[in-house]
Amino acid sequence: MEEKHILVLGVGNVLLRDEGIGVRIIEKLEDGYAFSPNVELMDGGTQGLRLLAPISETDHLIVVDAVQNGQPPGTLYRLPTEELEKRVRFKNSLHQLDLVETLAYAEVLGHRPSAVIVGIEPADISPWGMELTEIVASRVAELCSRVLEEIERAGGSYTLKDDRAPPVANARCEIRDEKR
Amino acid sequence: MAERIVVDPITRIEGHLRIEVEVANGKVTNAWSSSTLFRGLEIMLKGRDPRDAWLITQRSCGVCTYVHALASVRSVDNAVGVRIPENARIIRNLLMGAQFLHDHIVHFYHLHALDWVDITGALKADPKKTADLANQVSPAGKSGVNDFKAVQARLKKLVESGQLGIFAGGYWGHPAYKLPPEVNLIAVSHYLEALRQQARTARLHAIFGAKNPHLQSLVPGGVTCVADLNPDRIAEFKYLWLETMDFVNNVYIPDVVAVAGFYKDWGKIGGTTNFLTYGEFPQSEKEPDSMVLPRGAIFKRKVGDVQPVDISQIQEHVKHSWYEGEGALHPASGETKPNYDKLDVGNRYSWMKAPRYKGEPMEVGPLARVLVAYGKGHQPTKTAVDGLLKKLTIPQEALFSTLGRTAARALETKIIGEAMEGWITQLVTNLKNGDKKTYQPYEMPEQAAGFGLNDVPRGALGHWIEIKDKKIGNYQLVVPSTWNLGPRCAQNKMGPVEEALVGTPVADPKRPVEILRTVHSFDPCIACGVHVIDPQTNEVYKFKVV
Repeated sequence: MEEKHILVLGVGNVLLRDEGIGVRIIEKLEDGYAFSPNVELMDGGTQGLRLLAPISETDHLIVVDAVQNGQPPGTLYRLPTEELEKRVRFKNSLHQLDLVETLAYAEVLGHRPSAVIVGIEPADISPWGMELTEIVASRVAELCSRVLEEIERAGGSYTLKDDRAPPVANARCEIRDEKR
Repeated sequence: MAERIVVDPITRIEGHLRIEVEVANGKVTNAWSSSTLFRGLEIMLKGRDPRDAWLITQRSCGVCTYVHALASVRSVDNAVGVRIPENARIIRNLLMGAQFLHDHIVHFYHLHALDWVDITGALKADPKKTADLANQVSPAGKSGVNDFKAVQARLKKLVESGQLGIFAGGYWGHPAYKLPPEVNLIAVSHYLEALRQQARTARLHAIFGAKNPHLQSLVPGGVTCVADLNPDRIAEFKYLWLETMDFVNNVYIPDVVAVAGFYKDWGKIGGTTNFLTYGEFPQSEKEPDSMVLPRGAIFKRKVGDVQPVDISQIQEHVKHSWYEGEGALHPASGETKPNYDKLDVGNRYSWMKAPRYKGEPMEVGPLARVLVAYGKGHQPTKTAVDGLLKKLTIPQEALFSTLGRTAARALETKIIGEAMEGWITQLVTNLKNGDKKTYQPYEMPEQAAGFGLNDVPRGALGHWIEIKDKKIGNYQLVVPSTWNLGPRCAQNKMGPVEEALVGTPVADPKRPVEILRTVHSFDPCIACGVHVIDPQTNEVYKFKVV
């Protein structure tokens, strides 16, 4: 493969308000942009080991997630995972086999991609609500831009879909039945 | 002198679980199982469109996504009174079968094996002897002496670096580990092979599920993956299925038998008394009669006396849970009114309710399914179980144990996997004959009530829905881990895992690997998928704000 494959993985639980931000960003990006063929967007939901295949097959992983770091809600973060690995557990995770572990597994299999996490400090992750809080919703456009920057930095490109406005700060996403 | 041990949280499970036990004279004398996370999913479903329930409930868990999707969609099918077409039933079964294959492989190797396999013990193995032994254990296995050498070298590097990574936090060197070095090395090697295999098996869901994780192809009235019902996609499914079955037959099952041979004493530890299964894999509209794995209840270990299941006899108790009141309600009229004060094992100590069937705690999951199928004379199950008992030279009573539970999981993986072939063939035949129907239209009623029952990898799962003004009026889930890991009920009867733990030997209270063995054998999943990165676990490090 000549071009570096880039996987943008939004993770989180959309039922826990801001916890679902990663998935919401993927929805926004898929809606608003077209990407070069080496870029893949994925709603990873709350899965751990089931993400091992896509993670171990990509060259560069961009994870979008909520990050609790004691800063004001809405604060944006960029975390290189090499740092993250040593110092962070997914403490509130319900999954012992989570993203950091999945990366460790990928390493054991000999296919560990380079990775970066683009995140945001959540305001509310209490169960159960499907809407983002106002403060986090107001940062969605900026978070999308950060992810797009990461995609470019890693060697991907994108174009705005013609008939769409750029992502706006309204992330009230309703889950709808997909009848195809 | 009795001593209290608290394991909180139990690691290598999906969810947050706290186990407290009392130990006297080296054995557990009392046990309390607490889920420390509130799952009030029901509350947020009220007022929503019933057609959306499955998309929402499948997001409640990070692992069992499809099983909630299916239970939910079945509850709406049932409430609106729609009969799904045969192809839809087959596709739903195939997706469920794929879920079993994946979950059980991952459970044995990645969530449970390290309770039995000593990683550091594998370092002492002789690769040549390991290869000879591996060949005896499974002539069709694929690992040779060089593979074992390579795995051992990688393991050595890990241990020497002090960065055990995925193997950190184990009770390595504990006297309860009984495997010879060579068996440890085979198991570690297959642990890695299973890692590769599960990644491929997970793709089965993507084929008819449109995407994985969180597949998208269900709908009340049927399925929506019409575009994927072509020869290429079906062949792809069959290829991945074949590859997975090769692993199950030539690696997973031989490994379980080999490991169990050194732990026969665990055929007397960790048993429970009553078993319940809703049955799974309907072969026609006639439910439960047409199910591959039959529905049934067993009381007091009477395997020869399988009772029919009367769903109206299920109640959820809250006397020892953090909810209002002391009563017991049927899920169809269930309430979720949280009322937390403090964790007190003498009073209220869990977010789980305590489900009871005819007033009794019931174990659900692989062992329940295998016992019920065995008791009802299901031939593939009889052959598999009798073969295992003979190979291990253990009596039938040994099934009521931690060993029996773990072995049952392996056996049913094969049984379900083999049934899948027939469904693939049936699907192909239908399509060839021009039957492409996958969806049956229906009218959403103003008022209705229904339920969806599944038997999923972890056990009996039920969703109950009440439709009011075409919206969700009430919704209740009774999940497998609540059956297995719930607290005491109004009559103060222990839940299954609590009962199973009593009598468990504990050699070293500071390193209670024996407790993990029994708890993990239930494959606990207390999920709802919180998923926040929390750098606060580190005291000094602060991430740069960009």
